[in-house]
Amino acid sequence: MSAALAVVGVGQSRQAKRREVTIGALVREAVDAALADAELGFADIDAVVLSKTPDLFDGVMNPELYLADAMGAVGLPVTRVFTGGSVGGHAAIFGAHLVAAGLARRVLVVAYSKESEGNFTWALSRGLPFSAHLGAGAGGHFAPVIREYIRRSRAPEHIGWKVVVNHRGNATRNPYAHIRRAGITLAEVRDSPMLWDPIRYLESCPSSDGSCAVVITGAELAARAPRPPAWIHGMAWRTETGHFAGRDEVNPRAGRDCAAEAYRQAGIADPAREIDVAELYIPYSWYEPMWLENVGLAEEHRGWRLVDDDRTAFGGDLPVNPSGGVLAGNPTGATGLLRFAEAALQVRGLAGEHQVDGARRAVGHAMGGASQFHALWVVGSEVPA
Amino acid sequence: MTLPEPVTTMAGPLRMDYTYVAGAGRSVFLRGLAGRRLLARRCPGCSQVYVPAPEMCSRCLRPVGPPFELAGRGAVSTFCVVNFPFPGQVHEPPYVVAHIRLDGADTRLMHLVREVAPERVHIGMRVEPVWVPDEELAASATSIRHYRPVWPADA
Amino acid sequence: MREVAVVSFAQSPCVPADREHDMAELVQPVVREALDAAGLDRDDVDFFASGSHDFFEGRTFSYIESLDAVGAWPPISESHVEMDAAWAFAEAWTWLQLGEGDVALVYGIGRGSLAVDLDQVMPAQLDPYLLAPLRPHRDALAGLQACAMVDAGLTSERHLAEVVARCLGAAIANPAAQRSGRVRVDDLLAKPYVAAPLREHDVAPQGDAAAVVVLAAGTAATRPAGRPAWVRGLDHRMETHYPGVRDLTRAGSAGMAAARAAEMAGFSAAEAEVAELHTEYSHQEPLLVTALGLGGAEVNPSGGPLAGRPATATGLVRIGEAARRIMDGGVGRAVAHATNGPALQHNLVCLLAAAPS
Repeated sequence: MSAALAVVGVGQSRQAKRREVTIGALVREAVDAALADAELGFADIDAVVLSKTPDLFDGVMNPELYLADAMGAVGLPVTRVFTGGSVGGHAAIFGAHLVAAGLARRVLVVAYSKESEGNFTWALSRGLPFSAHLGAGAGGHFAPVIREYIRRSRAPEHIGWKVVVNHRGNATRNPYAHIRRAGITLAEVRDSPMLWDPIRYLESCPSSDGSCAVVITGAELAARAPRPPAWIHGMAWRTETGHFAGRDEVNPRAGRDCAAEAYRQAGIADPAREIDVAELYIPYSWYEPMWLENVGLAEEHRGWRLVDDDRTAFGGDLPVNPSGGVLAGNPTGATGLLRFAEAALQVRGLAGEHQVDGARRAVGHAMGGASQFHALWVVGSEVPA
Repeated sequence: MTLPEPVTTMAGPLRMDYTYVAGAGRSVFLRGLAGRRLLARRCPGCSQVYVPAPEMCSRCLRPVGPPFELAGRGAVSTFCVVNFPFPGQVHEPPYVVAHIRLDGADTRLMHLVREVAPERVHIGMRVEPVWVPDEELAASATSIRHYRPVWPADA
Repeated sequence: MREVAVVSFAQSPCVPADREHDMAELVQPVVREALDAAGLDRDDVDFFASGSHDFFEGRTFSYIESLDAVGAWPPISESHVEMDAAWAFAEAWTWLQLGEGDVALVYGIGRGSLAVDLDQVMPAQLDPYLLAPLRPHRDALAGLQACAMVDAGLTSERHLAEVVARCLGAAIANPAAQRSGRVRVDDLLAKPYVAAPLREHDVAPQGDAAAVVVLAAGTAATRPAGRPAWVRGLDHRMETHYPGVRDLTRAGSAGMAAARAAEMAGFSAAEAEVAELHTEYSHQEPLLVTALGLGGAEVNPSGGPLAGRPATATGLVRIGEAARRIMDGGVGRAVAHATNGPALQHNLVCLLAAAPS
């Protein structure tokens, strides 16, 4: 990247079951908020990138068509990206590419899910007629992987519960989060119903409606932004195929390679020391230690110690998901972009009640598929060197 | 004049029917199941044994070799217990869904593990396929009803 | 802008229903063919982009299966659009501008035959509150547009039949075409309507196929033998969604995209010798010829979609076919068009030339 890129506007809707608004209105909430944050109008946007997860979640096919007006996209180039759950991250990066390539001066990246329109678990369980009727759902896929991490790392069982206490506590400081339950204790998590052993109810993400939007631009226009920009120091995406013998789904190489590339661009040699806060794609509690290791913020098999030592709690030296993260709200099409956007809010000093003091460099991370798709960016309060 | 109640929701039922194509590679495996055979194939490039096998190795991008039969037993590589109901669910929870590494294969296949209390399932547990009766056999993964533990005496 | 060119194009024959191959098996041989034609290996590819859609495949996350066809190991730089693969082409072209790599592989897979009845599926593309509940059948909006064209005197049923006859005749020379043959205009006009004034042959037949385009930047584009087709301009634009608000006889977004592409290219579609247009319906040809400002271009020498429409691969095939005319040395300038959504709501225009800028 030759010229610097930055996020100059962030908007999001409340995450919840939003049955009182249409899909277009839900999207518009985030779009309006992002433009207001950047003090821009629709005429200032040159391109739109839309992030959304499978259309079967809400039954709207090629939603970029219906949403043309809601996104202010009439007369603009529009691209709808889909790369599993990492789509929000992929969309943000593609939006940045359009600016870097000189094809747009300001890009609006929009992401949403309105899963209350359908049934998420049903949509995910549409098997092929010749397949076994397993009905495992999303957690059913990730639970066995978590079990393998626990075996390898010998982590004690309370680690997952601790992550929950941290994230759900953080969510009470995020007015947009879906689930905001104060005072959750370890015992409460331990006693919550088991869904896909070893994942318990309180350790799982909800299915939420929600939208998010960011405005990305180049250095020249970022200099005119009314509020501090979040400068993009490094960004990368990597994909690995799912079906081959010897694949390590616990610590996938695509995730490691993706993070390494973003850090390389950002000139970061020691991420654990140089990153102040991380917004990671953690849909089930145990993914916190797993992703800490995968994205190089902890050594292999030691991610759980950061949790146990309270280093990833809001007051710790490497807070993870100060927004409450995915456990507090999971509009799947937007979740990846929310992680990228929350990282941006942190280094802009605009995260309000969940602002981490002195956050100058943050990681935003997204994952999709069976841990096949990975996207990550490093944003900072200073212009990259 | 009283205004009508605003419309707050509208049902938009969708029904879409599709034909699914198993593909050449998967068809070999499925036809094997119809004959109570678990067919694996080895990639001549990386020597990995796939079951079920695609037509091409997804690492080497070359055609995999001819099918050969596995004995059928294997071990639980990892698993979870599905504990809650949801629409379209076929089996009543709790039930175990496992990744099973068959003896002789390098990949794992996913299937149910039954005939054992979920809390007794463990990583490394030896399992064997339970086939459906003749009249239910078909070119489908449902030809194996589930896997069950192989108790030490039979292992 | 960095000079980027199409260095190869391959496609599988568009067939009415492929019941033998799964997604990866359909895509992989085409990937192999495109790489071989470009003299490249899978390891030479720096970025992969693809286009397909779950609602044609009939399941969620369907595109993941296609990754097995490109060998995503070791991990690759990759992205996917849930749209026609022409938009994946646009993403790959954008990526190559960054200078992080020199070769991108774009693939599209479209299987129109898996849905038992597309009337169940296509209405889902519409506003879910105001339009989808009307459940217009798959060709209804196109029928409205064709009717508007005829009423405005911009085309006639006879003209539509001539378009079809010409396309099917041209398709005889295209081994990938699903449909081809010599047909008589009067015989076509004798057939019943499916969505007046459209008849069955005015509707591009759904089929199954995969297509691959390999793009290379700078010197990488000149390394493989043969003539590259330089991407001189590319742009896409969207209109408002509601057909009642649009003038269906025009595609303003196509004209806008063509104008922007021309600014980049230094020449316009009027100077193209060949035009491959994503005409899902015959009436869209006269509409687009006007919208794009075509001069004397030969339109759809491949036969175009009226000879075979492999769902989300159709637009990418247009780009590939236009590029092929240049790579074969036949023409100096070509234009390709792709569309997204019913009644030409969203349009992409790509200008290609035998010479770089």
